Amino acid sequence: MSETQVVVIGSGPGGYTAAFRAADLGKKVILVERYENIGGVCLNVGCIPSKALLHTAKVLDEAHEVAACGIEFGGVKIDTKKLLEWKNKIVSRLTGGLKTLAKQRKVEIIQGVAKFISDKEIEVEGANGKQKIRFENAIIAAGSRPVKLPFLPDDPRIIDSTGALELHDTKGSMLVIGGGIIGLEMATVYHALGSEITVVELMDQIIPGCDKDVVMPLQKRIQKRYKNILLKTKVTKVEAKKEGLWVTFEGDNAPKDPQKFDRILCAVGRRPNGDQIDASKAGVKVDERGFIPVDKQMRTNIPHIYAIGDIVGNPMLAHKAIPEGRVAAEVIAGKKHYFEPACIPSVAYTDPEIAWVGMTEMEAKAKGIKYGKGVFPWAASGRSLSMGRDEGMTKLLIDETTHRVIGAGITGPNAGELIAEIALAIEMGCDVEDLSLTIHPHPTLSETIAMSAEVFEGTITDLYLPKKTETKAE
Amino acid sequence: MAIKNITVPDVGGAAEVDVIEVLVKAGDHVKVDTPLITLESDKATMEVPSSDEGVVKELKIKTGDKVSTGSVILVLEVTAATPVTEKKVAAPEKTPAKAEPTPVAKPQPAVTSSEDVHAGPAVRRLARELGVDLAKVRGTGPKQRVIKQDVYAYVKNYLSQGGGAALPEAPVVDFTKFGAIETQPLSRIKKLSGKNLHRNWLLVPHVTQFGEADITGLEAFRQAEKAEMEQKGIKLTPLVFIMRAVVACLKQFPQFNASLDPSNENLILKKYFHIGVAVDTPDGLVVPVIRDVDKKSITDLAKELAIVSEKARKKQLTANDMQGGCFSISSLGGIGGTAFTPIVNVPEVAILGVSKSAHKPVYQDGEFVPRLILPLSLSYDHRVIDGADGARFMVHLTNMLSDIRHMLL
Repeated sequence: MSETQVVVIGSGPGGYTAAFRAADLGKKVILVERYENIGGVCLNVGCIPSKALLHTAKVLDEAHEVAACGIEFGGVKIDTKKLLEWKNKIVSRLTGGLKTLAKQRKVEIIQGVAKFISDKEIEVEGANGKQKIRFENAIIAAGSRPVKLPFLPDDPRIIDSTGALELHDTKGSMLVIGGGIIGLEMATVYHALGSEITVVELMDQIIPGCDKDVVMPLQKRIQKRYKNILLKTKVTKVEAKKEGLWVTFEGDNAPKDPQKFDRILCAVGRRPNGDQIDASKAGVKVDERGFIPVDKQMRTNIPHIYAIGDIVGNPMLAHKAIPEGRVAAEVIAGKKHYFEPACIPSVAYTDPEIAWVGMTEMEAKAKGIKYGKGVFPWAASGRSLSMGRDEGMTKLLIDETTHRVIGAGITGPNAGELIAEIALAIEMGCDVEDLSLTIHPHPTLSETIAMSAEVFEGTITDLYLPKKTETKAE
Repeated sequence: MAIKNITVPDVGGAAEVDVIEVLVKAGDHVKVDTPLITLESDKATMEVPSSDEGVVKELKIKTGDKVSTGSVILVLEVTAATPVTEKKVAAPEKTPAKAEPTPVAKPQPAVTSSEDVHAGPAVRRLARELGVDLAKVRGTGPKQRVIKQDVYAYVKNYLSQGGGAALPEAPVVDFTKFGAIETQPLSRIKKLSGKNLHRNWLLVPHVTQFGEADITGLEAFRQAEKAEMEQKGIKLTPLVFIMRAVVACLKQFPQFNASLDPSNENLILKKYFHIGVAVDTPDGLVVPVIRDVDKKSITDLAKELAIVSEKARKKQLTANDMQGGCFSISSLGGIGGTAFTPIVNVPEVAILGVSKSAHKPVYQDGEFVPRLILPLSLSYDHRVIDGADGARFMVHLTNMLSDIRHMLL
């Protein structure tokens, strides 16, 4: 039986970060991972491969669009096999790098599925049989899995996000069930590679949870390019036939008759893996949805057992799991650290990208917070226009009383990079004038942030908005 | 017609106050200054008046809630300055149709950490590591942001004031082992006073100087004037004479009418004479302040004292009524006892306790004569006042009281 000071279950971004941090703080660490490759969903079948493919999709789209500038490429030839190899090489490079980092830190990696047998031991079942590990502290970072719709038949043409990244068949028609971030990112890739896309979404907008006006430029763009976007609609039945998958819809925009698709991508959300680790044997509480409740120091109800990442709650984002992993490791090492960020940004790596952080208008209204906003349309941004794009926008939400920045939504190429500035502004308690008075370089997309601030203040010169009177904080 | 959030105005530095009464309900028409709710902070109550005229759309708080400066009390549909009755009746019927989602949650000004303090993440982490409550730290960074230096300064200050010095803990006893018990929660006033008294006891090195004043003459004067005073509806108690006598002493010994500054190295001498008078109420002891005692006549003081005592007993004192005191007087003479050691009311530096007067034999001109003697107990802050000053003040005070004509000199 192995003994360790810290056992980390799951080697995704949360898990490996916690493991490496704990090792750097002097702890003996064992990292348990069920798959041969470490890095979890993010590195292997999530963030990284999807971004690699999205990059190629972007290049493809730009190659088409640059024809308007007088530059024409001939016919495009897509070798999906080579694309897959390139994507896999990137993933291997990163996962290999992780294994090296683990080795340098003397973090032992054990492959197998971990389950608790008591609050002091886990049992790992791997290729070589079972082994027990006795631990002083445990960090549960077992992540999440895609939600399966029960009525979907078992058919190789029906895939989830993991399967989608294998690019088995990129031509023909694809129905994307779920108009959230994952569904739309995969739709972007498959569309660029030649698929005909239909998106079906239960709510009245794509990417619910983000303000409608921020999402609208993306919705308009894909509405023109995809076959259909069916909002306020759901799938009720799928019949797998030889010639295709027949889908029956229900809802405000449901087609009357069943529609035929070559492929279905199911992207209706992810659920936590709290039900997979025999948590009860350790006395660890798991709620009815599979989440493990934790306090701000990432402790479960059992003081020496911690949990981080997707398995503790929403938002299920790598950049939430990572700082949670750090805090858990630091608390085990005796530090008085807490996970209490002021904001966590969200990004959809579609084209245009959509990013938001802090309050949305929907949340501010629901909480009764008096806010003002500054919206700058990228149609007035020199940089955006010189990139051949005009549909983006930057929106700042400002608290009416204190003039502090409380939220932002950005749509357009590189929105995911730009949102970090606002995350910092919110953490530092910046006022709107801190943004307008900070010199942003020109011509960039980042200066749209300063301009949105100026729109709120009524001092903007790059737009003519005479009705707005200059506002000063009370 | 505009919708307006009516918020809690400045509550005098208190972080959170209790809503003890809600005086209006949805649909009520209020004018400017119509009282909306009653708040209780420290031992003072205050009513929050409406800042506008209109119809109450929705209450955002209920009795028992805790609110602070800026909390939303209610949503008001502000009506035009010239009220038109037909329009007002129509207003409440129109608005329910709009059905805005209005949860009862208090609006937060900005999305920051749980304490909503203006401080960056590194500072927040430092505060957690040191166990500092950021809400207590004064920020000196840009726009009063709390910076790391502020956190360190707070900790240094806290330690140097001995605030962090660990007090020995009282033993926890299970009294049921010895017999039947009953648990009674302390009243709000007692809980608040308790904290203050404990702090005063710890901060101030107390000395109590005892003395006796011969008030035979004063009492004779008081009785002589009684009938006429009663006709005017005034009750002359010995307390008002003591107040004037104390003021005469404060003028003679200005260090008793002072406070130490935050550095404890300077004495802030006061040129005004506001006297706090302890009043016993059913809920506990409160100390309303009578201002400018030097400028008021005995009858003025008697009148004011009566009004203030009544207000105190009816729990109508405001926070303002209890601020600004220079010196306090606590009279237990009406009840009894020979002497006691009152606790200085920080930031003052002295307090006079008065016990029950009694006839005692005094040796005068070769024989014992009965005189009415009033026992006095003067507690003072020994950092500011030494024994000699304490004794001199007491002698001067007893002189004043033994012949009030001395006060005219």
